[in-house]
Amino acid sequence: MLLLKLLQQLVRALNSDGTPGQVAAGLALGAALGLTPLINLHNLVIFAVITLANVSFPGAMLGWAACVPLGFALDPVFDAVGRRVLLDVPALVPFWTGVNSMPVLSLANLNNSIVLGSLLVWLVAGLPLFFVARLAVAKYREHVYQRLAQTRVFKAVTVSKLYNLYRLFQPE
Amino acid sequence: MRVVRWKALGPLLVFGTLIGVLWWLFADRATKQAVEYAGAEIVGARVDVRAADLRLAQGSVRLSGLAVTNPDQPMRNLFEADEIVAHVRTLPLLEKKIIIDTVAVRGVRFGTARRESGALPQRSATSGRLAREVSAWAGNVRIPSLSVAGLAGVVDIAAINPDSLRTVDLARSLVARGDSLETGWRTELSQVDPRPRLDSARALVERLRVADPVRLGLAGVRSLAESGRSELAALDDLTGRIGRLDDRFAADLAGLRGDVQGLADARAADYARALGMLKLPSLDAPDLSPAVFGDMVLEKVQPILYWLRVAEQYLPPGLDPRRRTGPDRARGSGVTVTFPRPQALPGFLLAYAAADLELGGGGSGGGGGGAGAGQYAARLTGLTTQPAVYGRPLTLMAERLGGVVGPREAAVSAVINHVSEPIRDSVHLALSGLDLAAVALPAVGARLGLEDVGMQLALARMGENVSARILWRTNRATWTREGTEPDPTAAIGSRAWAEAILWRTVSGLRSVEIEARMSGSIRAPGLAIRSNVGQAVAQSLRRELGAQVARAEQRVRAEVDRLVEGQVEDARRRADDLQARIGDALGGKRQEVAQVRSALEAEVRGLTRRLPVRIP
Repeated sequence: MLLLKLLQQLVRALNSDGTPGQVAAGLALGAALGLTPLINLHNLVIFAVITLANVSFPGAMLGWAACVPLGFALDPVFDAVGRRVLLDVPALVPFWTGVNSMPVLSLANLNNSIVLGSLLVWLVAGLPLFFVARLAVAKYREHVYQRLAQTRVFKAVTVSKLYNLYRLFQPE
Repeated sequence: MRVVRWKALGPLLVFGTLIGVLWWLFADRATKQAVEYAGAEIVGARVDVRAADLRLAQGSVRLSGLAVTNPDQPMRNLFEADEIVAHVRTLPLLEKKIIIDTVAVRGVRFGTARRESGALPQRSATSGRLAREVSAWAGNVRIPSLSVAGLAGVVDIAAINPDSLRTVDLARSLVARGDSLETGWRTELSQVDPRPRLDSARALVERLRVADPVRLGLAGVRSLAESGRSELAALDDLTGRIGRLDDRFAADLAGLRGDVQGLADARAADYARALGMLKLPSLDAPDLSPAVFGDMVLEKVQPILYWLRVAEQYLPPGLDPRRRTGPDRARGSGVTVTFPRPQALPGFLLAYAAADLELGGGGSGGGGGGAGAGQYAARLTGLTTQPAVYGRPLTLMAERLGGVVGPREAAVSAVINHVSEPIRDSVHLALSGLDLAAVALPAVGARLGLEDVGMQLALARMGENVSARILWRTNRATWTREGTEPDPTAAIGSRAWAEAILWRTVSGLRSVEIEARMSGSIRAPGLAIRSNVGQAVAQSLRRELGAQVARAEQRVRAEVDRLVEGQVEDARRRADDLQARIGDALGGKRQEVAQVRSALEAEVRGLTRRLPVRIP
């Protein structure tokens, strides 16, 4: 079921009406939801951006789904990065003291090594991810999409019940 | 292409509203779970909240049915509270800070029983570590055992035999030495035979007596007188030789008699050696109090150490960034770092709590509500997770205002000063009229009931060092035998006999005082225990065993006497025999020589007096 859903998102994202840039932006933003611990303030902000910005929603869902296992696997790396930044750089202590004393921002759990580490990794990897994804989607549509559209699986996926809801978030 | 997707605004608003509704629906539950989680983290055991009511607009949190499990007794609560109402400042919540201005507590009961165990499947890393460390310390405290097995067999004299006694050997050697001396002296005496000399002297005396100076003439008289003088010189020489022999003999005899006298010292040493074989138990009083009350005191002291360590852990001094394990979640927890900021609000602060507690009598014993029913007043200030930020120490004052049952007086005062290094804690507790749960004392095979107890606790901590004194005192102690009654007619030296002594001693004690002193490093303090019970037990054992030991000593002495007396008598008799045989013989000879000399001297003088002229 999960696999089917993933496949559905993949198909819709790659073949939506959005430009490759919109799909890639969705993927990059969705990656934040998967890489960082979900229940956190920054993810609420990112979700709002995905929803309101003219980016591919299925692309974001795809990025989220694809990055969840990656996030689990990379937790030790995020932890190490977070510890390094929080604890091993004395010059940053005043900065973190300020961040963690700031109303609302202190609710973002940026003083947790995994939250901060994963967010930093996403911020660094987000832009390269956007460009790589945009190129990949363009190549895909140029070479693969026409043949794939004729397959039964593709047709079955595109007529599922969620399709109409998904269209609300289709890039304009 | 537009940047904003306006048609998604509706669903987003719906989503936001949904989150709001979910918050409204589940905020109370989230608060309940947060209190339970944080409480369990700190206490190291389950903390249950029946219901929570969070009203952010009014800044109030109401907790109902709070039950905090005692981590050392999972089937009991440290305390329960029917209702806790806290007034929380709202704006600091946006900084993730919980600032509680006031707290009201109602329906508090201590030590109540739980329906189900409050032990955590797995303690949090912090509380688990602290509990393990305190437990490891308690495991390393050496409590001497009061084993009655060591008291048995004190009158066993089977180990004493003649071969182990020096007196017997010594007496035998003295007898042999006496024999040897007599043989030697007889040889000496035979070499100094005075008879030829005496016979010669007697013959000369006879000649002198019948001599006629007129007929002998001057030359004949002179010759006879010369012979007399010469014989006198020979007799003097003989007397000298016998005298010297007598002196040497007297010295030998004195040495022998001295050694015979020395048998008394050897016998005393044999008494001591034989008593040493009895393996009498050591009954030093200071050793017995830890043996009797060690387990009980350890049980009472461990929570004190644990809570001191918890206070150190959760109320740390200084402004350094401090880390703790992140929240439990499907993802890794990581580490959460807190960055205290001076002149700001601390992360958690209970500024002032004043509670007038009325404890009911419905709890169970053992320090439960029933035992402590009455009115109490408590004041607490400055409970914060960041004392250096708050800048003032935590203070706690509680006292009993009155009640129908339970302690007549109860007063607690504590100052937990973690504002800066070194941390300084002081706690004073005074209770009187307290009824405590009966304490099992396996060392004496009894349970000790402590009623109307006065209890005092004075504790001071400075940095890593702690010193504490806990005193329990009552004049209404009761003793209940555990297991079968000891047999008062048990055989002396048997285990049952020893148990009977212990039971007779403690069962008569109504006044009990137990004092525990703890000092040293907070990680592994030393523990000293003193009690009048331990001292009474020691004295009683000493008294009872002393009588047994005296009897045993008597038997040991008799046995030693029986084994050595014959030999000693032989040695003494041998010395007497030697005196009689050799000494008398020497004395007789000296006397005989003296008599002959005296007669000879008289005759020589008589001869010269009979001359008409004086000869040179």
